Amino acid sequence: MPRTDLRHNDQARQGASSSMERRMSTPDSDIKVEVRNLTKYFGRLHVLDDISFNIKRGEFVCVVGPTGCGKTTFLNLLTRIYSPTRGDLFIDGESADPKKHNLAFVFQEPSAFPWLTVEKNLRFGLEIKKLAKDVIDERVEMIIKMLGLQDLRDRYPHQLSVSSEQRIIIGRAFAMHPDLLLMDEPYGQMDVKLRFFLEDEVIRLWQELGTTVVFITHNIEEAVYMAQRILILSTKPTTVKEEVVVDLPRPRRFDDPDFVAIRNYVTEKIKWW
Amino acid sequence: MNQPIVMSDMERRELLWKRIHRVLPFLSLGLLLALWVYVSQGENARFPSPGATWDRFLLIMRHPIKGLTIFGHVWASLQRVCIALICAWLFGIAFGILTGWYRKSDSLLTPLFTAFRSVPPLAWIPLITIWFGLGEFPKILLVFIGSIPAIVVNTHAGMRFVQKIYLDVGTMFNANARQKLFKIAIPSALDAIFAGIRTSTSAAWMVVLAAEMLGGKSGVGFLIIRGMDSLDMPLVLLSMIFIGLVGALLAIITQLTELLLCPWTRKQSN
Ligand SMILES: Nc1ncnc2c1ncn2[C@@H]1O[C@H](COP(=O)(O)OP(=O)(O)O)[C@@H](O)[C@H]1O
Ligand SMILES: [Mg+2]
Repeated sequence: MPRTDLRHNDQARQGASSSMERRMSTPDSDIKVEVRNLTKYFGRLHVLDDISFNIKRGEFVCVVGPTGCGKTTFLNLLTRIYSPTRGDLFIDGESADPKKHNLAFVFQEPSAFPWLTVEKNLRFGLEIKKLAKDVIDERVEMIIKMLGLQDLRDRYPHQLSVSSEQRIIIGRAFAMHPDLLLMDEPYGQMDVKLRFFLEDEVIRLWQELGTTVVFITHNIEEAVYMAQRILILSTKPTTVKEEVVVDLPRPRRFDDPDFVAIRNYVTEKIKWW
Repeated sequence: MNQPIVMSDMERRELLWKRIHRVLPFLSLGLLLALWVYVSQGENARFPSPGATWDRFLLIMRHPIKGLTIFGHVWASLQRVCIALICAWLFGIAFGILTGWYRKSDSLLTPLFTAFRSVPPLAWIPLITIWFGLGEFPKILLVFIGSIPAIVVNTHAGMRFVQKIYLDVGTMFNANARQKLFKIAIPSALDAIFAGIRTSTSAAWMVVLAAEMLGGKSGVGFLIIRGMDSLDMPLVLLSMIFIGLVGALLAIITQLTELLLCPWTRKQSN
């Protein structure tokens, strides 16, 4: 199984693996997100079980895991919507705090504000941050063009299809130029064409802005297409079952044999859920 | 050009029913009118006929009662309702936001308000009459008392149950407490607030009639009592019709205002 381009590191035999060396040799400032012994209970429900891993600055990480394993919970912990039961999360070496860090979150559920038009939804975060008006105008124009929302800018979310509504939420996050972008199954509701397009847009944004991206998905092909590293989570109580490094050149091709090999490998791992 | 429209039997039947549904409201109105004519027939009918009611309308326009035509009396009632409603909305929305948004004031003030609103507004009549007599102020106060519960309860509910996801979006964008209140919670509660505005308006219109029946020289409530005292049934019926029309008009106006101010509440109607 192990191909040269497929460095999978089972936690069990991680001890001597190359990722350990890499982690040792990485200076601290290269780490964007550090998750240390993170444990979360909801009452008696044990969701996250002593999870530890790092995400490097500028890295693109995809997280896959069974439904209900705590992927959304993990992001909610990172944005402090929930607090950890034990352990902690650090962004730039500081305990995570949306007040200090420029992060943006694309929620899984529809979260566009129904009382704002498309354009005003896009402006919302920027206005909260009190950016200069011309900066806001420019960014919003760019996002509207990028997401093809020109004709919809004065519509209200309820007048749009689910996938258009999701585009608002994605655009709202992109417009922030975040240095940490969290996306929770953002493309679940979309038709294939738009999904492919928006996958490329996230990659472009990531490459242009050097944003660190944490992308949650249940679509393995999507994960392999985008990620530098895939974290495979187990069922509850959840641990990181395995990390798969994907270092295929970009743009990636779905029919590339290496791509197929990684995809099959991840799929194989997931069958054990 | 003139292509015949192709329709299945099912579709044709659907179309037929759609047309029937459009006609039915007029049919029921017609029936009501017919019923009215029928019950008011005969020498000793105890119900004024449409003709008699119309004549009474012409009469009050020529010979006003206490110096006011029917429109004057409607206007007098409306003025009371407007003053009371504006006060009720200002106070009620502020109170609802305060108790719906801040948990402490909720625990502190909501029990008091619940006690207050479990007393029907008309039960206040004796006390208010003793305190303030029969002038203009006690009437307006009574309408205020009658319209305040609806606006407070709705605003409170809207502010209390702001969807968590919207507040989470605020947290994520690092909105401060003031921004969360004014940019998220209040806008998201606007449709609930408008529901309160609608309900309080119809409540106010009901209570004003009762208030005017107590005494005074103007208002549609006064006209009804006047008609009853002088056994002038056409006048009573005429007032009733105007009360109904104005009530319906108020409902339409509040609905239109809501559509104008909160266009997002207009669901899927491109
Ligand atoms: N606020 C909450 N209170 C109680 N249980 C919760 C809460 N949020 C999530 N859970 C539970 O935690 C588990 C993980 O949920 P979630 O993180 O949404 O899963 P995923 O996003 O991986 O599908 C689920 O079993 C869910 O029912
Ligand atoms: Mg989820």
